[in-house]
Amino acid sequence: MNLNTVLGLLLLVVLLAPLAAAALIAIGGRGRPGLTRRLAVYASALHLVLTIGMIALYSGFVTPDAQSEQNLSLNFQPKAVPGDPGATNGAETFTYSTSWKLVSLTPGETGPAVHFYVGLDGLNVLLVALTSLMFFFAVLVSWDTVRERAAAYYGWLFVLQTAVTGAFVSFDVLLFYVFFELTLIPAFFLIGQWGTGSARRDAARKFVLYTLFGSLFTLVGIIGVVLTNPIPLHPTSNQPFYYEPTHQAMAHARDQDGPYVPGRAGPITFSIPVLMKNVSMWDSMSHYSVLQAEGRLAKATPNLRADRERELADVREKQRERSTTQFWLFLALMAGFAVKIPIVPFHTWLPATYSEAPLAVTMIFSAVLAKLGTFGILRIVIPLVPEACVQYGLPWFGTLGAIGIVYAAFCAFAQRDLRLLAAYSSVSHLGFLVIGLFAMTPEGLSGALLHMVNHGLTAGAVFALLSFLARRYRTLDANQYGGLWAKYPVFTFLMIVIVLANVGLPGLNNFVSEMLMLGGLFDPRNVKIAGWGLALVAAFGVMLSSWYLFTMLKRVFFGPLIEPPTVGEADARPKDVTGREFVPLAALAALCLTLGLFPQPLLDVVSTDVRRVSELVNRARYRLDPSIAAAEAENKPPVQPIRIALPAPKR
Amino acid sequence: MNPLLDGTRIEALTGVFKLVVPEIALVGVACVLFVLGLFTSSRFLHTSLAVLGLAGAFAVALVAQPWETTLYDGLKANTEAYYPILPSAAATLIRYLTLAAGLVLMLLSTKEATREIAADYLACLLIAVAGTSLVARANDLVTLYLALEMISVPTYVLLYLPHRGKPGQEAAVKYFVLSILSSAVTLFGFSYLFGLTGSTNLSAINAVLTAANKEAISPLAVLAMVLVVAGLGFRITAVPFHYYAPDVYQGGPTAVVAQLSVLPKVAGFLALARLLGIVSGPLNDLPFPTSTQVPLLLWVLAAATMTLGNVMALMQDNLKRILAYSGVAHAGYMLLGLVTASAYATPTEGLLPRYVSGFDGLIFYLVGYALMTLGTFAILAYLNSADQPTESVDDLAGLHQTNPFAAAMLFVALLSLIGIPLTAGFTGKLFLFLGLYDSPTVTGMGNAYKTLTVIAAINAAIGAVYYLRLLGVIYLRSPLRPAVRHRGKGPMLAAVLCTVGTLVVGIYPSIVWDLVKKATPATAHSPALVAK
Repeated sequence: MNLNTVLGLLLLVVLLAPLAAAALIAIGGRGRPGLTRRLAVYASALHLVLTIGMIALYSGFVTPDAQSEQNLSLNFQPKAVPGDPGATNGAETFTYSTSWKLVSLTPGETGPAVHFYVGLDGLNVLLVALTSLMFFFAVLVSWDTVRERAAAYYGWLFVLQTAVTGAFVSFDVLLFYVFFELTLIPAFFLIGQWGTGSARRDAARKFVLYTLFGSLFTLVGIIGVVLTNPIPLHPTSNQPFYYEPTHQAMAHARDQDGPYVPGRAGPITFSIPVLMKNVSMWDSMSHYSVLQAEGRLAKATPNLRADRERELADVREKQRERSTTQFWLFLALMAGFAVKIPIVPFHTWLPATYSEAPLAVTMIFSAVLAKLGTFGILRIVIPLVPEACVQYGLPWFGTLGAIGIVYAAFCAFAQRDLRLLAAYSSVSHLGFLVIGLFAMTPEGLSGALLHMVNHGLTAGAVFALLSFLARRYRTLDANQYGGLWAKYPVFTFLMIVIVLANVGLPGLNNFVSEMLMLGGLFDPRNVKIAGWGLALVAAFGVMLSSWYLFTMLKRVFFGPLIEPPTVGEADARPKDVTGREFVPLAALAALCLTLGLFPQPLLDVVSTDVRRVSELVNRARYRLDPSIAAAEAENKPPVQPIRIALPAPKR
Repeated sequence: MNPLLDGTRIEALTGVFKLVVPEIALVGVACVLFVLGLFTSSRFLHTSLAVLGLAGAFAVALVAQPWETTLYDGLKANTEAYYPILPSAAATLIRYLTLAAGLVLMLLSTKEATREIAADYLACLLIAVAGTSLVARANDLVTLYLALEMISVPTYVLLYLPHRGKPGQEAAVKYFVLSILSSAVTLFGFSYLFGLTGSTNLSAINAVLTAANKEAISPLAVLAMVLVVAGLGFRITAVPFHYYAPDVYQGGPTAVVAQLSVLPKVAGFLALARLLGIVSGPLNDLPFPTSTQVPLLLWVLAAATMTLGNVMALMQDNLKRILAYSGVAHAGYMLLGLVTASAYATPTEGLLPRYVSGFDGLIFYLVGYALMTLGTFAILAYLNSADQPTESVDDLAGLHQTNPFAAAMLFVALLSLIGIPLTAGFTGKLFLFLGLYDSPTVTGMGNAYKTLTVIAAINAAIGAVYYLRLLGVIYLRSPLRPAVRHRGKGPMLAAVLCTVGTLVVGIYPSIVWDLVKKATPATAHSPALVAK
């Protein structure tokens, strides 16, 4: 038993324990709401402790083998993979893969198979922690708001937790999709059965249908990526052939002679780390063949010219086909994630869902479920169609993100209902996140990843704060409130901290991640595609968010005290924050402050894997625009050019 | 020498009875039941006899399997022996599938087949089961036609038997007339095949057409295929041959409709696959043009079938009409398997290997479809009663409060019909999509297969709308009627079996997929596989 195996087991427990809790509560808690909610709190608190323990172990484990810049491998290398075939032989021999097969496409052979491939790496470890934390708070927030069929409610909530965690930790592209889709079932029931509004049934159906419509395109995209990127085989043997020409070698491709023999298509794979390698390899091979054919044409004697022209036209056609396919696959993959995040104009399900669902569920939606979309971009879209992301990511989805920032900010300003204000504010911030992701620089990506956590904390905190009001008053209409500071000083203090975090005040968490994302946009490689313009809009969005949030603060918390009708009897005196309410709110506020002051530990955890993604994208950039490579090559030591004579396969 | 006296041919003709012993047993039991029904109306006797018949057929099938496999492997090498019955591996699998479906259908019918009609009902069911199994192994146009009629004729009786009301009669007559018409069209197509090749034996027809197809495309062969597809399209409810389905489903008794939604589809698809030459391979040499004509025909049929089925289902309020159109839509998905298989091109350089050949995806989906559709019908049969008919969508309102267990099973079946992961429906769609997306683009169809994958994905999303509507009615609305004690152990047991099956196949698809893969021809040029 080495640390990796222990971590793997712990990960399985973290992934499946909520399911066990769901079963326990659904069976044991039926008809006993008091017992049910206590069980739920204990279970989720225990889960949080386990998760924190796992992450502490993980971070202690990951630092020593952080790879240096030179030999950074460009595919994800998940730790803590249960079923790692190398795990039994000691810590030195992990393969970062798993042998747990779910279904093999060609039974009886070692052919392509879908694996139960889960693990931890820098990209998901923080989100797993966020999920566990927010579900704990969601259980606390639902403490006395959910009275009907509490056992089923907490059961579905825990099922949702497993589905979300599963999507975060999956490294098999189909397993990811399975978990991604499974979030729909608990969400459908949580909105439809325990929703607070009158239109909850329609909201539940709308949410599921919109998401399903998008994610079915994602399924086609996943199938397409898997089938168009098989494992490349050596031209003359049956060994995997990963001999990717570096960009320096690309620059010399025109000088090389002899026909370039690209690899052959081997078996397909569903493993995300292997797929990433395959995608880069096929992209490089196709670019390299074009460059070399160009060189051969330039050097050709007149009688060979026609031949060489045909050769060039041939490889160019193949390359064009590949990039067309990548473009469509990019759109298909993005469809599901764009709806899930949501990116304007695919957000129309969101107001209904956020205003009809119970507040604890809305909190989970904005804090965790929305991150499934952005995480999908980071884990699936960027690594699996990097060239299309460079070409269309920022211009198309960055622009949509920018439109979303401004549009949602104005919508938020216009809302009277505080829930909808929070909902649109969330959309506005997520637009920023999408821009940061598609900047695809180390700063932009780590900022975006950090912002996923920060947005989870602050958006979740906003809904947790609203649940404070919902528990006391019958409405969340901002016009019926005023001067709450006088009555609820502690609540107001917490609200102001969260609002300040939301608008990005230095010293609080959102500032750090938003500045990093802005920094990513000013990267010179993005200038061409209007990175600065997007940065301007994004910065403007920060200003807008302070506009609508401070307006809300002014209306609700300042001035003379105005109160809507209370939930209980008319003369009941609602109290300020109770102990049970204080725990999640204060913890969230404290986290916002801590992460604002000390973001470095988090950035350290994500840095290696962020560099993998950004370096992978850099390669794609170099291929698409050699001038970028030339400009950067001046600052970098030259690397040995690729040998054209095929290297002997390693046996 | 007279070829008829050739030893192998005589063996081929006299040896066939050994290959259909389970089917003969089923028909024999059915005959006994018909006669017995005249003298006694002991339901226990009839049911136990029918169950014994199914169990006996199953036992015989198990015993015969090794021997049949050996024979089939020998036959594959010796193409001269033209058996009218071919015990292909797929046929063996389908035999077990139909026997299992027969058991479920029998359980399902216990509520509707009253004491007076039980004997006739069970007998007709057994004959239809035997017919379906026979279709899969028929290797002669005459045998095939006979087997197809063995499904239709009992169905006419079944539709008429329990229902004496007007809609029931209308449904029976409608089905009868249109079924006869489709049989006539099928026969017309068969006549072309016979005329072209001079043989009624399917192996011979395939061999001749494959050889001819290598030379040039034969327009008459394509015409024959069009006619056969039109005739069999009725059985698989392909658009535009689906018109009878909504009315018959609405008017017919639930158990019979359940049978109608599964057995003829299994038979129709197997017959089509056999005629297309994809049951026994080799998949790279097909008797029909693989570049555009036949794939295009099936492409259009699949796209129209799933789209129309799903769109029409959106507008229905009657549960059985919804299920009828849902059946049409699922036939469209299953046609994707045929499209994939019929698109097999001779492997050329640069063609990627294919892991899902289409026919395997089709059979896997048939298994999943049978599980989820029979599960849905079983619940409907269970809920339906004379004083509380379960006919329209509103009748299901608040089912989770009045009958949570039935609601949970319907929930699983509907999720599977939508295609949510961890159910058989998702896995089936995944395999079909994988195969279809992988179809060669070097032929005249270009990117049409990829487009069809997208059309199918959009259709799956449209389908979700009406299934989700049912789920919403069941779980998110309050009951409109007082809760009653539902009766019907048979349908309940059938529903439990189907639900468990749906989940097992969804969560661990290898159980079925490995069997299906073994039973279908392997893809030709799989590249040498390497370890990571």
